Amino acid sequence: MGNMPPEMIVWTAVIVGVLAVAFAGVMLLHRSLYVCSVCLLAVLLQTGVLFLLCGSPLVAFLHIMIYAGAVMVLVVVAVMAAGSDGGRFSDFSFPRPLAWLGLLVALMELAFALSKGPLLTTAVPSGLEPANLGAVLFKQYALATEAVTLLMFLAALAVVPDKEAA
Amino acid sequence: MNLTVAVWATTGAVFSIGLAIVVVRRQLLAMLLGLELMLAAVNVSLVHHAELYRDEQALAVVVLVIAVAAAEAVVGLSLILRLRRAGVAADTAQLRELRG
Repeated sequence: MGNMPPEMIVWTAVIVGVLAVAFAGVMLLHRSLYVCSVCLLAVLLQTGVLFLLCGSPLVAFLHIMIYAGAVMVLVVVAVMAAGSDGGRFSDFSFPRPLAWLGLLVALMELAFALSKGPLLTTAVPSGLEPANLGAVLFKQYALATEAVTLLMFLAALAVVPDKEAA
Repeated sequence: MNLTVAVWATTGAVFSIGLAIVVVRRQLLAMLLGLELMLAAVNVSLVHHAELYRDEQALAVVVLVIAVAAAEAVVGLSLILRLRRAGVAADTAQLRELRG
C-alpha cells in the first residue's frame, strides 16, 4: 500500500473517525440549524479524508466537490431563506472548544495532505483504476447511470419557480 | 487495530447518529441533514468494501449514491422552502396530511 506506513493510515483514520462522530453528536444535540449545517460540513470533510485513506482519491474529490461544495451551499442558503422562529442568529452558540479543535484539526489535515498527499495517492490499489470505474458506470450500470442523470435533471427542475409561486 | 475496525466503527456511529437525528428531531431541515449523514456513512463503508475486495461495482454504486443524494437534497430543500413560502412551518408536528 504505497510508501505510507499502514499504522499511520490507521491512526489517521481513527482521529478522523472520532472527529466525525463528535461533530455528528453535536448535530444531534444542538438546536440551531446553522450549527447543524456547519457540523455536517465538518463530518463530510472527515468522510472525504476517510475516502482518501481507503484509497479512493477520485471518490474523495467527487464527495468533497459535490457534498461539501454544492449541497452545503444549498443547505446554508435554505436555512437562511427559511429562517427560524426566533432571531436568525439568536441560537448560534457553537461550543468554542469544539470549534477551536475542529479548526486545529482541519489545519493539521491540510498540512498533512500537502506534505503526504503524493504518498496517499500512491496508496490507491492497482485494481481500482478510474478507467475501470468508468467502464462499470457506462457499460454494466449504463441504465442506472442514465436514470440518475434523468433524476438530476428533474431535481434541477424542482428549483425553478412556477408562475403561481412567482 | 486495523483500518477495517476504524472505518466500521466510524460508519456505525455516524449512521446511528444520523438515524437518531431523523427520528428525534422534528424540523424537516434537520431531518434532511440527518439523511445526508446516513448516506455519507454508507458511502464510507462501500468505499472501504471496494478497497478490500477490489470491487469496482461498489465504487460505481458510491458515485450513483452521491448523485442521488445531491438530487434528493435539492428536491427536499426546495420543498421545504415552498412550505415556508406557503406559511406552513417546516415541522413534522404540524405536517400531518398530504394536500395539494
